[in-house]
Amino acid sequence: MRLLVVEDESLLRQQLEQGLSKHGYVVDVAEDGRSGLFYGTEHDFDAAIIDLGLPEIDGISLIQQIRSAGKEYPILILTARGDWQDKVAGLDAGADDYVVKPFQLEEIVARLNALLRRAAGFAKPKLEFGSLSLDIAAKRLLVNEESVDLTAYEYKMLEYLMLHPGQVISKTELTEHLYAQDYDRDSNVLEVFVRRLRQKLDPEQTLKPIETVRGQGYRFSLEES
Amino acid sequence: MTTPANSSNYSIQTRLVISFSILLFVFLGLTSVVLDRAFRNSIEAGASERLQVQIYLLLAAAEFSDGEFYFLGDLREPRFGQLNSGLYGFISRPSLGELWRSDSARAFSLLDAQVLRQSVQIGETQFSKTMSADNEEYFVLSYGILWEDGISEFNFTVMENAAPYYSEISNFRTSLWSWLGGAALLLLLVQYFLMRWGLSPLYRMARDLKQIEAGEKNQLAENYPQELQGVTKNLNVLIETERKQQERYRTTLGDLAHSLKTPLAVIAGVMQTLSKKPDDSNEQLGAVEEQLGRMNQIVSYQLQRAVQSNNSSALARQVLVKPIVEKVLDALAKVYRAKSVSVTQYLDPNAIFYGDERDLLEVLGNVLDNAFKYGRGEVSIKTDSRIESFQGLEIVIEDNGYGISEEKQEFVLQRGARADTLVQGQGIGLAVVTDIVSSYGGTILVGPSDLGGAKITMGFNSPRQTT
Repeated sequence: MRLLVVEDESLLRQQLEQGLSKHGYVVDVAEDGRSGLFYGTEHDFDAAIIDLGLPEIDGISLIQQIRSAGKEYPILILTARGDWQDKVAGLDAGADDYVVKPFQLEEIVARLNALLRRAAGFAKPKLEFGSLSLDIAAKRLLVNEESVDLTAYEYKMLEYLMLHPGQVISKTELTEHLYAQDYDRDSNVLEVFVRRLRQKLDPEQTLKPIETVRGQGYRFSLEES
Repeated sequence: MTTPANSSNYSIQTRLVISFSILLFVFLGLTSVVLDRAFRNSIEAGASERLQVQIYLLLAAAEFSDGEFYFLGDLREPRFGQLNSGLYGFISRPSLGELWRSDSARAFSLLDAQVLRQSVQIGETQFSKTMSADNEEYFVLSYGILWEDGISEFNFTVMENAAPYYSEISNFRTSLWSWLGGAALLLLLVQYFLMRWGLSPLYRMARDLKQIEAGEKNQLAENYPQELQGVTKNLNVLIETERKQQERYRTTLGDLAHSLKTPLAVIAGVMQTLSKKPDDSNEQLGAVEEQLGRMNQIVSYQLQRAVQSNNSSALARQVLVKPIVEKVLDALAKVYRAKSVSVTQYLDPNAIFYGDERDLLEVLGNVLDNAFKYGRGEVSIKTDSRIESFQGLEIVIEDNGYGISEEKQEFVLQRGARADTLVQGQGIGLAVVTDIVSSYGGTILVGPSDLGGAKITMGFNSPRQTT
């Protein structure tokens, strides 16, 4: 999952970047409203965390401009003042949730997970497709109610595919959401991950949850249960 | 305690009415005295002239022979011949007293007979008043003459009853007082209307200021008379400055909040990282973390309190409640989308909050957020501005959560209180709401709801009642 964090305080930005990366997110950071606008409108993200008190362009205007540019990914606002004027203005501008400073990283992660699930159309914290169940909060996969170990990248890939069921996800899109911007992108690595995932999810190859769409990408083809 | 009324409390209109009325009554009183005296003098002068004519009649008809007077011809004044007619003629000498009296005066006697003995210069007349024995007032005119023989000096005196003249004066007085009274009333009435008209810009200014206080207007109008425009312009500048200052104050506090809470967030992050390392200092870190939490709560509470408007500045605005409720509900619907909360709304479209929109947002945001957070999918909000028990706004917010037990009801309204510590939050929401409601002189009640959860009832009096 690729996130944009727009925060002007460098230490906090760094903490968010490190903390969220540890939770398996690919994080892009911006230090002011102007660079936030550039990243937010020029790239595709799964979610954004935007501080309301930003230099250059304030948080509310940034959210409005991102929405005007047609970007629909969920936005979580960080507000220092915590008054309802700010919260309502932020939510009205197009944000989806808020967190008041200071915060615990777990709170941010929990809110982000809820937003990502919600954006994908899932109300519950578990994504359930037949015998497969992925708990986003606990980052755990159950196949036939038995826990299956996944590496961090396998998990990231499966989560992204399961959050977009039935959609063809290109290799480029998958790479962008799995790796940080400056990471070496080798599509062969993706194929290795897909192969390993198929073996772990469907060792007997009866379900075939991840389809390869020739020349286009991959599709998670199971139906939600 | 009421302040005893004294002259310095009188309104401008009362002052003007009192001074004009005093002036009017002094003027009318003097006028009546002058007119009365002038009329009396004129009546007496008229009486004197008439008596002069009577004296000439007596002189024309009088004959003197052998020391006695007799009248040959007709006196042409029948009242001289008619007993007790009220017109009496006398001929006298200061040295001898009365020599002759007309037939009309046969039964007439004077209280003081010296009137007929007074010395009057020859050719001169002397007008005076005297009393009869039966205590009636008479006008007296005496004329001193030197008879044809060139030796004898006589006084020809005519007396006439003054009662008819006084009756005329009395009638005049009645008429005068009626007219002057009528004129006074008319003038007072005209004065009242002139004063209302003259002072109307001041009344309008007072009304406008009350409307500004009640939030029905933002500024004083510009169409005041020239004399007041200096004052109204300065007042408008003052009002605008006050508003801008409040705005600046809030912005500064917002910046302060940002500058304080961002470092707090950084410290919290560092603490979190440190606490994950297996170390002996974890206990101390816990203590620091606890103090950090307290600092955050105190900063949040004090900033929320400081940011809320100062209602005593008397620059309230009118805020329609329904759109604000809808705005907050839209925001919360987004935040709690996964919870699919059903909201029942009974919103009075005319309900008005007399105060700052941000304060209403804060009150509604905090209470509704709690209802969404602690409720189990059902929230109800009711706003009403036509409550029978008091004239003002009532907001009732209910949910179907676990409610707030009686012993905790008072606690949650206190500073920093949070009854359910399981849910993340600043723990100052309801305390801030209580502060805001109190600053408007309103009331807040926490109780059980028919939905099964908590019921928060807030009442705000309209400013016209509280002032």
